[in-house]
Order: sequence, then structure tokens, then C-alpha cells
Amino acid sequence: MMIELCDSGAIRDGEITRVTAPGFPAVAIARHNGALYVFPDRCPHADESLAEGWIEDGRVVCGVHFAEFELGSGEVHNRPVGCPNLSFFRCEDRDGKVFATLAVEA
Amino acid sequence: MRPVYPRASSYPDFARLVDRDKAQVDRRVFVDKAIYQAELQQIFARAWLFLAHESQIPNPGDFLRTSMGEDDVIVVRQRDKTVKAFLNSCPHRGNRVCMVDAGTRARGFICNYHGWSFGIDGALRGTDGKVYETDETFEKAQIGLTPVAQIDSYKGLIFATFDPQAPSLEDFFGPFTWYLDIMLDNDEGGTEFVGGAIRSIIDCNWKFPAENFVGDILHAFWTHQSGAQAILGGAVDLGKRYDELAFQASVYGHGIESNLDKVGNTRTLGYPELVDYVFDLSEKARDRLGDIRARAIGAISSCTVFPNFSFLPGQNTFRVWHPRGPGKIELVAWTLVNKNAPEHIKELYRKGTMMTFSPGGVFEMDDGENWEYATRVNEGFVTRHQPLHYALGLGTEDAASEMPGHVHRGSLNDANQRLFYTRWAEFMKYDNWTDLQNGETAPPVRRAQAAE
Repeated sequence: MMIELCDSGAIRDGEITRVTAPGFPAVAIARHNGALYVFPDRCPHADESLAEGWIEDGRVVCGVHFAEFELGSGEVHNRPVGCPNLSFFRCEDRDGKVFATLAVEA
Repeated sequence: MRPVYPRASSYPDFARLVDRDKAQVDRRVFVDKAIYQAELQQIFARAWLFLAHESQIPNPGDFLRTSMGEDDVIVVRQRDKTVKAFLNSCPHRGNRVCMVDAGTRARGFICNYHGWSFGIDGALRGTDGKVYETDETFEKAQIGLTPVAQIDSYKGLIFATFDPQAPSLEDFFGPFTWYLDIMLDNDEGGTEFVGGAIRSIIDCNWKFPAENFVGDILHAFWTHQSGAQAILGGAVDLGKRYDELAFQASVYGHGIESNLDKVGNTRTLGYPELVDYVFDLSEKARDRLGDIRARAIGAISSCTVFPNFSFLPGQNTFRVWHPRGPGKIELVAWTLVNKNAPEHIKELYRKGTMMTFSPGGVFEMDDGENWEYATRVNEGFVTRHQPLHYALGLGTEDAASEMPGHVHRGSLNDANQRLFYTRWAEFMKYDNWTDLQNGETAPPVRRAQAAE
């Protein structure tokens, strides 16, 4: 089921924003070259907030140990030992609202 | 966890080792371990110390590692373009968090021991594993790399102090900035460092090179005679107008000496093109700096900013003598040029300083050996009880001079070195900045005001 997260206009290009939907763990929403990406706001390595990181060359950079995750595929680069790839939620922009399927996180 | 900035104390017995009346210095100041520890506390934990040139870290995340006394420090450009500096030591178990000398666009600094990760702003961003995150008593926001107490810059040069009570950088310099501007403000474009840093170790006490640059052109006639002969084809010569122009000036222990011959120092780099450049620069700079300072840009001269930052106008070598125990220094040297100088002129300065004032440079080798023996012989118990003579030029004060600070006639003079050690004694004696800024080394005008 798609959950409404926020106004898509609030998500600026090149930035990562933390959003909380009732009943779900916090998610991070990023926009890069116009496209929206929604993913858990915790790095798969040490549970740190990815919204406190930043986007660089099409990758989400974790601000804690600097693992880099490719936007879209989630493939990890420069990873600390044991850090898996990042998974993304299916999302879309419906009439100016960001919707995403948060089920896999549950 | 709040930063702890150690308090100063008072060491009057050490201060008395500088005898102003006899113009003598006790040699124990060069070898005694207790005195050295007092220097780290009284001087290096309080004075403003040189960190870097702005041009070395232009972009956010650009950083370098340096020392303040023996304290390892990281200097980092922030995203808002300001500069911060921190102790290079993790607050968890103390491990060094930055291992390299310098770098660009750092994302942060991760401690190699337990993975504690610090942003370029010094704040703890996270830790390894999922251990602390599940500990409800753990307060991440309260933890970070220890920042310096104050940081500021003067015309491109960044300084910091570990003393929250220290006066502003501007007050620490006092009117000595009038002399610093000879090098830092002789051209509208400002300055930059070129060519990286040259590091070396010299087995000497840090005060020997500092006092040498504060006002010892005397040694050039003997120490550097053969080097000068090789490069210049003749002896060191202070010029026909020496009696009329040469001077020493000192403010708060900072000192400069010059013969105002325009290009004497520049000539020793061995490139006639540089000499022409400085002649032109000197002419152009008269509007900015006036006649005296325009003549000083490339002249036979030297300068120390108390305690351990020195440079040579004309040769353009800038350096810090980092203390590494009473009998050892780590010397880091850079080359300063005007940003607007043509590229080939910058290149000639870079090569010229390398050939003269680097570990393999003609003049640096001459000096290093002297300072090593001047330090080492004082290990002799009887030797170290014999005072040293600093009494050249006792009657040369130029009270009528219109230049700022304590001005003395003639650059062949121990005047600046006497005031350097007097400043050293003030730091040993005083535990507060009110006394420190109003003692004998304070600029004459300020001392007169304080006395009223």
C-alpha cells in the first residue's frame, strides 16, 4: 500500500530530508536530477541517520563512516566491513505528493 | 565533556634566569626539563600560535595537521568558509584521528580505534557497531574533538590560542602589525603559500632559531660568509646607508631587524629577475606602505612573531619552530608569494627558498649546526652554569623614532633578543594577561598609559 509522505515540492534537488509517517520508522527522501528516492533513514551498517549525510555524484553518502550508496540500485561503495547495500522503497509523485510503499520495512 | 583549557601559573624563579640588568641569559633555559614543561604551560598553551595560511585550505573539508607546542592539531575549512581547529585526539581513548599531513575535501575524521566518527566541525557524528546507539545514557551531542579556545586570522595568516582569556589576535600583535604588513600587505592581491611544506628535525632548543630570526643578522658575517661568497660572489654587505637606515624594532617580544637596502635578502636567492621584481614592487608599494616599509620588502632582514613563528622578508621563507622537548625542534617551512605575482616569479621564489632555506639549503645547513652545538654543550653541568652574553648595543635606543614599538639604531644589535627573552620571562612570571600586556615589552605608548 502506498503511504502519503509529504509535499513533493518540499524535497529540493541535491538534498536529503527526513520524514516520519505514523506507524512506520523514519524514512529519508532525496531528489537527484529531478528524480525522487525514498529509503530507510538508517544506514544498513550502524543504524545512523542517512538524512544527516549528503548526496555526492549520484550517491547517498553516510555522514558517519562515509559509505556511499548508489541512488536507484543501492549498491554500496567505500563500505565499512559488513555494510550491505541500501534498499529503496517504491515511490512516486502523485499530484504534488510523495507516496511510497513502506511495507518492506515493517 | 567540556574542553579543559589548562590554567597558567607563575614561575618567578625561572623568570629571574633572564637578567635584564646584566643583559645575560642563564643557559638552563635551553636544557632544563622543568623549564621546558613550564614553557608548554605558560607560553604554548597561552600565546597565539601560527597554524596555516588561508591559501592552504581554500575549500570546505580542506585540512592540514600541525602543532601548537607539542599538541597535535587539525585545521579544517568549514562549509560556511570559516576555519576551525581541534586537538587531533579522540575523546574516547585519545588515539590520533587524523594521520596524514594535509588533504582536500575531507568528509570527516574517523578514529581508527573504535570507529568514532567526527564531522569537519569536530562534532561526534556516530560510532561503530550498534552498541552506543542502544545505550540510553549515551549523549552523542555532548562529545566532540576539543576545539582551540580562539582562532582568528590576520591578512591571510591563521593563528589560534588555547587560552580563552587571551586578548584578541590584534592586541597580541599590538602595533607590530605595522611591520608584518611589509610582507603581508605590500600588494593589493594579498599573499599565498606556494610549493607545499618542507619538514625537518634539528636537535636544538626552539629559542635559538627564534632569537636568531628576531634580531641576529650579526651571525651572517661569520656563519654564512662562505655561502654568501658562493651565491653573491662577495661578502655579506649591509650597505653604505647602514648607519642611517638600519634598525631593530620590538613589540611584546615580536621583533624585526632590517637594513632597508631594498633587495639584499632577495639577491641571495640567486635570480637577477627576482631582484628586478622586488625593485619594481618596492616602488609600487610606496603608496601603500610609505618609504621605510617599501624599502624593507626585500632587504637584509629577519623577523620572529613570539614565540616561534619566523620569516625572512626578501627570501620569503616562513616557518614555525615546533618544540619537541628541550633539545629538539620540528621545523616546518613554506614559501610566501604575492598572489598577483607572475607565475614564473612564484616559481623562482619556490626554487630560491629551496636552495637557501630548506634542510639542504645553503644557509639553513649553516644555522642548524650552530644551534645544535649551542644547545648540546649545555648538557655539561658546569657549562650550563655560565651565563650567556646578550649585551651588544646597550646604548642604542631610538626613543625619538616615529616607528612603532621599541626601536633601536643599527641591525647589528642584541636589542630584539634581549626583549625576546624579557617577553619569555614575562610569560614565566605572570599568570594573567593584564600584567602580560603591560610589562616592559609592551609598546612604549601603552606602557606610558598603563603607568598613569
